[in-house]
Amino acid sequence: MRINPVLQKDLKTKLRGWRAPVLISCYIILLALILLLYFTGSNMLNPYNVNGYNPRSAVDAYNILIVFQFALLFIAVPAITATSISGERERQTLDLMLVTKTPTRKIIIGKIIISIAHTMLLLISSMPVLGVVFFFGGVGIADIAKLLLFYVFTAFFVASSGVFFSTLFRRNILAIITNYIFLGLITFGPFFMYLIHMYIKESAVLSYSPDYLEILAILFPSPVFGFTSFFFSAGSGYYGYNLWGSVASYIDGYIAQETGILRLMKPWIANGLFSIIASILLIFLSTLILNPIKRQR
Amino acid sequence: MMVVVENLVKRYKGTLAVDRLCMEIPEGEIYGFVGANGAGKTTTMRIIAGLLAPTSGRVLINGIDISKEPLKVKERIGYMPDFFGVYDDLKVSEYMAFYAGLQGIYGSKCSELTDSLLELVRLTEKKDAYVDTLSRGMKQRLCLARSLIHDPDFLILDEPASGLDPRARVEMKEILKELRSMGKTVLISSHILPELSELCTSIGIIDAGRLVASGSVAEIAEKLSQSGLIKIKVADKEENAVKILMEIPEVGEISSVAGVLEVKVNGGENICVRILKTLVENDIPVISFHPVESSLEAVFMKLTERGNENEN
Repeated sequence: MRINPVLQKDLKTKLRGWRAPVLISCYIILLALILLLYFTGSNMLNPYNVNGYNPRSAVDAYNILIVFQFALLFIAVPAITATSISGERERQTLDLMLVTKTPTRKIIIGKIIISIAHTMLLLISSMPVLGVVFFFGGVGIADIAKLLLFYVFTAFFVASSGVFFSTLFRRNILAIITNYIFLGLITFGPFFMYLIHMYIKESAVLSYSPDYLEILAILFPSPVFGFTSFFFSAGSGYYGYNLWGSVASYIDGYIAQETGILRLMKPWIANGLFSIIASILLIFLSTLILNPIKRQR
Repeated sequence: MMVVVENLVKRYKGTLAVDRLCMEIPEGEIYGFVGANGAGKTTTMRIIAGLLAPTSGRVLINGIDISKEPLKVKERIGYMPDFFGVYDDLKVSEYMAFYAGLQGIYGSKCSELTDSLLELVRLTEKKDAYVDTLSRGMKQRLCLARSLIHDPDFLILDEPASGLDPRARVEMKEILKELRSMGKTVLISSHILPELSELCTSIGIIDAGRLVASGSVAEIAEKLSQSGLIKIKVADKEENAVKILMEIPEVGEISSVAGVLEVKVNGGENICVRILKTLVENDIPVISFHPVESSLEAVFMKLTERGNENEN
C-alpha cells in the first residue's frame, strides 16, 4: 500500500527538527502539572493525611484532564487544517499539486489525515499522565478507549471543516477565523436552540419535561453534547461538581428513562455519527471547490 | 496535432482575459507565446494545463478534451509556472520524490528519474541540499526538473527565464535546447523575444486576449515585411529621389535622418526591387539600399501596436 504523498510530505516536514518533540514535551509537562496541582490541592499527596483519600477526587482530576484535551482538539486542529490548502496557495505550491494526476480528493484526505495524526500523537502521548488516575480507581480502560474513539470522530470533523474553509478562502487568516466561528456555532448553537425550545415549551405547559428524543434531535450536532458521555465514572455515577457534570447528569437522567434503540443512542454515538456524515459532506464540498475544472472563477 | 485550442474565452467579472483564441501546436514543436503583461498568456496557459476552467471553448491534448478527462490529460502535461513554488523545508531529492509520488512514481524508479533529471538541470551536487539554500536560477531549474518527473510529452513553461541573471538564462536556454532534441512539444512564454526566436520553431503573438499572429518565425517576419522600412542613402539629388519615390503608389511616409532616406513601403520583396530599379533608371546616385529586416521584437511591437490602434 502506498502512503498518500501529501501525507508523507507533511509528516516529514512537520515532525522534522526540534519543534515537534518540544511541543509534545511541553504538552505532557503541562498536563502533569495540572494533575500535580490538583492532587496537591485536594490533599491526595499528603502522607500524613489522616482523613484518607476520596476516590471521587481522582474522577474529578480525570474530568479536568479530558476537558483540557477536548479543548486542545478544538484549538489545535483548526489551526493546523485551516491553513492546509490556503497555505499551499500562499506558498504558490497548490497549482503544482493540482496539475498532477493525483485527484483533488486525495489531496484533501491527505491534509485531513495529517491533522488527525498530529492530534492523536498529542493525545496518545498524554495517556501515561491520564493513566495516573487508574491508581485511584473509578475510571476503566474501556472508558479511555471509547474516549479516544470519540476524539478521532471529533478530530475528523474539526479537520474536515478546517480544510473546507481553507479551500473556500484564499487567505490563511480568513480561513482560520471563519473556521473557529463555524465550530463555535456547531458546538454551542444547539445548546442555545435547546434553551429557546425549552423556554417556548415551558411558556405553554407548566413544568414541561422533555423526552430524550427531543434532546437528541436538537443537541446531536454539538461535540460538547457527545462529550458529556465521558463526563462521569460509570461505576460510581459521580459527575463532578461543575457545569458539564450537571449537563451530563441531566442528559443521563433522560437516557435512563428510555428503552430500545434510543437507550443505545448515547450522546457520543449520535454525535460521532453526525461527525462522520458531516465530514464526508465537507470533504465532498472541498473537492468540488478545489477542482479547477469544475470551479468557475 | 498535439494541442488544439478552439475558440477559447475566459472572462473574469466583466474583464475579457482571453478572447476567442484559436491555436494549434503540432507534435515536436517549440511554440513561443509572446505578449505584453496582461495580454492573456498566463491565463491561456493555465487553461491549457487544466488549472482554470474556460468560460467557453475547449482545449484538446492529443484529441482528449481536458475538461472531460483532466486526469488522463494531466499525465501527459508538464507545467512550470512563472513562480518557484518550492517547499523550503524539503531537500531537493525529497522535493522531487514528493512530486513523483503525486504522479504515481515511487521507489527505485523515482530515484532513477530524480538522478537523471537533476543531471539534466545540472543540480546533481545539490541533491541533498535544502531547497531554501538554492539560488533563484537553481530553484527555477529545479522547478523544470519537477515538471519533467513523469516524462510528459507536452511541456507548458510560463516565462521560464524571468528574473534570471544572464548566466542563468543561458543555462536555462541550453536545457530547453536539450528538451527540443528529446522531441518534447513545448509551449513557452517569454518577454525575451530574441531568445524565443532562436529557440522556437513557431510563435504566436497574443494581444488583449487575442492571438494576432501565429506561424513560424520566418512566416511572421515575412508577413510583417509586407509593411517594411527601406533605408536609402544617395550621394546627390536627394530632393529628386524623394519626388520619384512619392510617385510610387506602394511608398508611404518618407523622412530624412542624417542624410539617409527612411522610406515606409507596403509590399514584399518585389516592391524593393521596383524602387531600386526606378531610382537607378532616373540616374539617382544610390550609395546604399537597405531594406530593414523585421526582428521578432519589431514584429511583436508592430502587431500589438495594431491591436491597440484597433481598440482605440
